[in-house]
Amino acid sequence: MADFNVNLREKDSVSVIDVKGFLDAHTAPELENVFNKLIDTNQFKVVVNFNELNYISSAGLGVFMAYIETMRENNGDIKFSNMKENVYNIFDLLGFPLLYEFFKNEDDAINKFLESGKF
Amino acid sequence: MRKKINFININSFENVIVFSSILFLVNLIFPYHSSGFVYLINELLLFITIFLLYKSLLKLLQEKSYSPLSLILNSGILAAILFFILSLTNSGFTLNNDGTVYYNFFNSLLSTLIIFVFIGSIVFIFTSFQILFFLRSKKDLSTYFNVMLFFLAISFLSNLLLVFDPSLDYPRDTFFIVSILLITINSVRVAWIAFLNKKQKKYLLIISIVLTVIYSLTFSLLIESNVVKKIIYAFSPGFHTIFSLVMIYGAIYFLVIFFTTLFHLPTAEAFDRKALQVSSLMDITKLMTQVFDFKELADTITAMTTEICNSNSAWLVTKENNKIVLNSVYKIGFVDADKISYSLLEKNNINEILVINNSDNKIYGQNYNSIVIAPLKVYDKINGYLFTARVKENNFDDDEIKSVEAFANYASVALENAMLIKKSIEKERLEKELDVAREIQRKILPLKTPKYDNLEISALFIPAFEVGGDYYYFFELDNNNLGFVVADVSGKGISAAFIMAQVEGVFESLSKMISSPKDILIKVNEILIRNLGRKNFVTAIYGKLNFDSGKLTVARAGHTPILYLNKEKIFQLRPKGIGLGLDAKEIFQNSLEEMEINLEYNDILVYYSDGIPEAKNNTNEDFGYKRLEEIVFKNRNNDTDTITNEIMKELSLFTKDKPQHDDITLLIFKWKKN
Repeated sequence: MADFNVNLREKDSVSVIDVKGFLDAHTAPELENVFNKLIDTNQFKVVVNFNELNYISSAGLGVFMAYIETMRENNGDIKFSNMKENVYNIFDLLGFPLLYEFFKNEDDAINKFLESGKF
Repeated sequence: MRKKINFININSFENVIVFSSILFLVNLIFPYHSSGFVYLINELLLFITIFLLYKSLLKLLQEKSYSPLSLILNSGILAAILFFILSLTNSGFTLNNDGTVYYNFFNSLLSTLIIFVFIGSIVFIFTSFQILFFLRSKKDLSTYFNVMLFFLAISFLSNLLLVFDPSLDYPRDTFFIVSILLITINSVRVAWIAFLNKKQKKYLLIISIVLTVIYSLTFSLLIESNVVKKIIYAFSPGFHTIFSLVMIYGAIYFLVIFFTTLFHLPTAEAFDRKALQVSSLMDITKLMTQVFDFKELADTITAMTTEICNSNSAWLVTKENNKIVLNSVYKIGFVDADKISYSLLEKNNINEILVINNSDNKIYGQNYNSIVIAPLKVYDKINGYLFTARVKENNFDDDEIKSVEAFANYASVALENAMLIKKSIEKERLEKELDVAREIQRKILPLKTPKYDNLEISALFIPAFEVGGDYYYFFELDNNNLGFVVADVSGKGISAAFIMAQVEGVFESLSKMISSPKDILIKVNEILIRNLGRKNFVTAIYGKLNFDSGKLTVARAGHTPILYLNKEKIFQLRPKGIGLGLDAKEIFQNSLEEMEINLEYNDILVYYSDGIPEAKNNTNEDFGYKRLEEIVFKNRNNDTDTITNEIMKELSLFTKDKPQHDDITLLIFKWKKN
């Protein structure tokens, strides 16, 4: 299997996670580590940028499910952006768009956080 | 014949006893060697006895291979005894007026015995010197030693000339001086001193100076004291010569040893450390083949590290999935080691050995002045770091840093070894676990596909190596209805298998109780959400087919769409619905849609798991939905088994040698009722 890479950065006080490559049962723990770190440091507003992600398996999807509740309970959320069509189809098939917010690009997702923060 | 061979063997100790007994008797019978003949016999006997004793002792000592210090100590004790006896003799015996020693039988016996003690001691001392001479010497030095031996013998034998003319003492004196010269030359062979440790060198320094004094005093007694000189002379002038020479040898040799040791002493510590390093490296090589427990090995490595570079603490971290994990600490707290490692590794990208001194104020905490960080590399891949820290003012020197580096290289190989073994054990455990998962899966899948008049059914299931969690089943319901479920549990292995078993139970019981596929899925979601872990979910299609009317009712919870072929057209049936376990209630319930189709003759329905469209080829391209649709369409006039075979054929052509990553489930229905 091809490699997986995850990178965490901050943009306008929103945490942006860049995922790259293949997210499956073997690489999911790397992403889990990042989420754990965010929760430890009380950062609950997360945008996951899928720009360079080529494949996601059910175990990969499970990572987001595992953390969404904690984020939302703390007035945060996990939003997705820059998804390739094949990856989006997997999310779509499962019905994720009913449960999560998807954006064309990262800035839209961040702005959504900023807007909701005003109220 | 055999006796003769024994006799010829000059190393044999019996010969020594025979000759010394003869010598002893001769001396008891002839206390005065007045006649030239007796004198001659006595000298020759003595020479042979000494020679034989020397040979057999040499063999004995060589076989036992004593340490140089114990050899020195033994010969030193003998020298001290010699000195003691000589001093006593000096004051104990009285001289006759004419300057000759007064003899009676008792005196004669005593002096002979004393002489024998002397012979034994001297030969032992000399043999010890010879062993020391050859100890640790790299070149062949036997010529030097043999020349000296030859001159010692000549000096002894040249005393025989005195029988013929007392004035013939100059050859003896010449040989005597030449012997001293050779002794001096041979005394500088003290290579073995370098290999002693510091403590031994200090000890040797004291012993050597004491022994120099003892040998010198003994020699002066031999030369100066009339009594001693007379007694030994009376016994054998040759022996006196040898005795003196050996004492001179001792005095010179120990003087040389004293100075050599003195000069070696400052470098003794460095030498000790080098020796320790070498033995540490040897130890770790040994450990590599004996210790496979990672933790134990890491602990040994940290403990050894402090030894080889004189540091106070050491600890070892490994890199696991880009995370730094502290594995072993030696003389430092876990918390401190963790903090220091983190702060240092975060700031520095370490590929080579790195030394950080506190003068730069970079080290966390005030305790350490200097820290060495050695990467643990195997095939250029860094698996971890070995840290060692020193409290003392002086920083690590180049030599110490090099040793840590060398040690780290060995350690990394040893650790890699242990890690591989650990992994293979883990793999074995995982395989056992997968066996259990496969067994569960095998048991809950239907044993055979049901057969009906109006419906052709083909079912195929191919498990992935790491059980993927696919599941399907048929339920024969009331009123000529067939219920069926196709599901896929998220995740893999044993956890997926357990969830699968649960799902099976839930569907099994609910299918009998609830009629509507939508309601069944809503109920299943309700039950599963309580039992599934947060990150697990299940996708499923539940359908119900009435054999009388040909009406198919299906609901889909996040599962891959159904392929439907009707009247030369193929399309996806995709009733709305999110996966089971994603949402507790409302969203799931509201999202779910029930679809009804009235089947027509030769309609084809294909249910499958994502293992088919997501199967990948060597360039990581998906098999996709399009290919699947095309194959089904192309084979629409064939029976379901043929369609199944064609799909699998195309799939394997597509993936080639790329291993199957997920379970594959393929269920094909063909409606055969007009």
